[in-house]
Amino acid sequence: MTTAAITTSFKTETTTTAPDAILPQKVGRKLWLPMFVMALMGFAIGIVLAIVRAVEVNDATDPELIAALGHFVPAAMFVGFAAVFASISFAIARILGEFRVGGGSVQEAARSQVKTLKMPATAKAFIGFMMMAMMLILAAVVAHVIVGIGVNNGDISLVDSEQWALWLEAARRFGVSIYLFGIALGLATIITVLRFQSFRIREVAAEH
Amino acid sequence: MTATFDRLTTPSNFADYKIDTGHRTIGLGAGFVGLMIAMAVVVIGLVAANELTQGNEETVSELVAVGFGLNTLALATLKIGIAVVLIGILVRLWLRVESIKSSLPALRAGGTDEPIKTGNATTPYGAATVSSTVPKTLPIHKMARTMWAPMLAMGYMAVVAGLVVSWVWAGNVGTSTGVAAAAWTQGLQFLGEGLVLSGIAFLLGSILAGLREGGGQVQEALGVPVKTLKMPTTAKAFVALMMAGLMVSVVQFILYLVTTGFDTLQDVQTWFAFLGPLRELGLGLILAGITLALATIANVLGFQFWRIRDIVKTGQ
Repeated sequence: MTTAAITTSFKTETTTTAPDAILPQKVGRKLWLPMFVMALMGFAIGIVLAIVRAVEVNDATDPELIAALGHFVPAAMFVGFAAVFASISFAIARILGEFRVGGGSVQEAARSQVKTLKMPATAKAFIGFMMMAMMLILAAVVAHVIVGIGVNNGDISLVDSEQWALWLEAARRFGVSIYLFGIALGLATIITVLRFQSFRIREVAAEH
Repeated sequence: MTATFDRLTTPSNFADYKIDTGHRTIGLGAGFVGLMIAMAVVVIGLVAANELTQGNEETVSELVAVGFGLNTLALATLKIGIAVVLIGILVRLWLRVESIKSSLPALRAGGTDEPIKTGNATTPYGAATVSSTVPKTLPIHKMARTMWAPMLAMGYMAVVAGLVVSWVWAGNVGTSTGVAAAAWTQGLQFLGEGLVLSGIAFLLGSILAGLREGGGQVQEALGVPVKTLKMPTTAKAFVALMMAGLMVSVVQFILYLVTTGFDTLQDVQTWFAFLGPLRELGLGLILAGITLALATIANVLGFQFWRIRDIVKTGQ
């Protein structure tokens, strides 16, 4: 067997028993499914509103209602996208939790000291980007609803409505990009964890 | 063809487990490029909103066209970055298999070499099969290993082609050529996005295949019963959602092409009003499938750690 390299190239914490999942991982385990369901509901409502809007566009009798629905449709669809990206992020956190708890339990079963990787910078950035993206998209969704109601009530003009649509589209798009970059960071953390575990299991075997 | 793609996702025989494969850096680098393009699109959007207040409708339409093409390129580039990171995970999974294979003989408890009873077993992570050798590769896993690369390549090419068409759209605002180019841009780019996301879904399928095969190899090498999880419901739903999303992406592309034959702008606008959310639904369904794939991976990992712990404690 190859001589194990000492895991000094990683920042670790040492315990005698397997560690529990950390808070974001526990949250991930609990929330990925509710977010998944919310995403499907958001998409379903969005498609129904899109059909209503297409009928209104075809009739071309109520421009205020068409403009209002033009805000409600992306609001519903992006509740769906915010939820599905949150669900993906939580599922990644859950995977990281399995590595943490499982890796620790194997070391404990081997009656070795339990070394666990400290949260890497990519994992911290993953959480930060996810929260920023979620806030940006949800803020855009809330603004879409407010503007939609305002247009329908006649409080906001059609030109202003169009201007809001352009601003909010820019915010939504950037929110999705931030989410995707956050997800890339979360997945990159898995690479770090896998590399650490390859080192660690050889190290534990060499101690026996 | 599959063998060529497999070489990208499996380390060479001489690969050292200590190496940094570089996928993380390349993947995050591509993601960063995508993020920068997305920032440029934000600026374009803000400029368009400003032009609207000054009544420059044509300039607004041109900026919207350019912004659409660039934004989809940004998203596709970010997804390619994610795909590279997933390839890195696959490579590292195989290096982990080698590490576990070489370490477990020293860690396992001295068990008796009982004959292996094949059949079914119940585990805390779901129903499993018990065999004496690595189970056969599932057809869906073979498909995933063959399809991820073509999907990513075709998808990104469609997005880039759509970007070029978006410039035609921007240059012909208010004309029938512009309307047709708008339909082509939106249809083509969202077909591309659907294909890229499907490529990512197939990569996740390949990871599940790697976990199944690698786990089997470790157990077979030790001469212990090879326990393998049966395909969970989340995995089946993942395949169904991904296929549904891909079909919606293809359908929206066809419907966008249908609109290029319409005589009146009114008809085009009616269809565009529905096709916009429809194309987003396609991506949403694939993303929902990806969530289930990740949840399945988490479950399989939990099972594998449970199995390794079992071997360490009981030797079987």
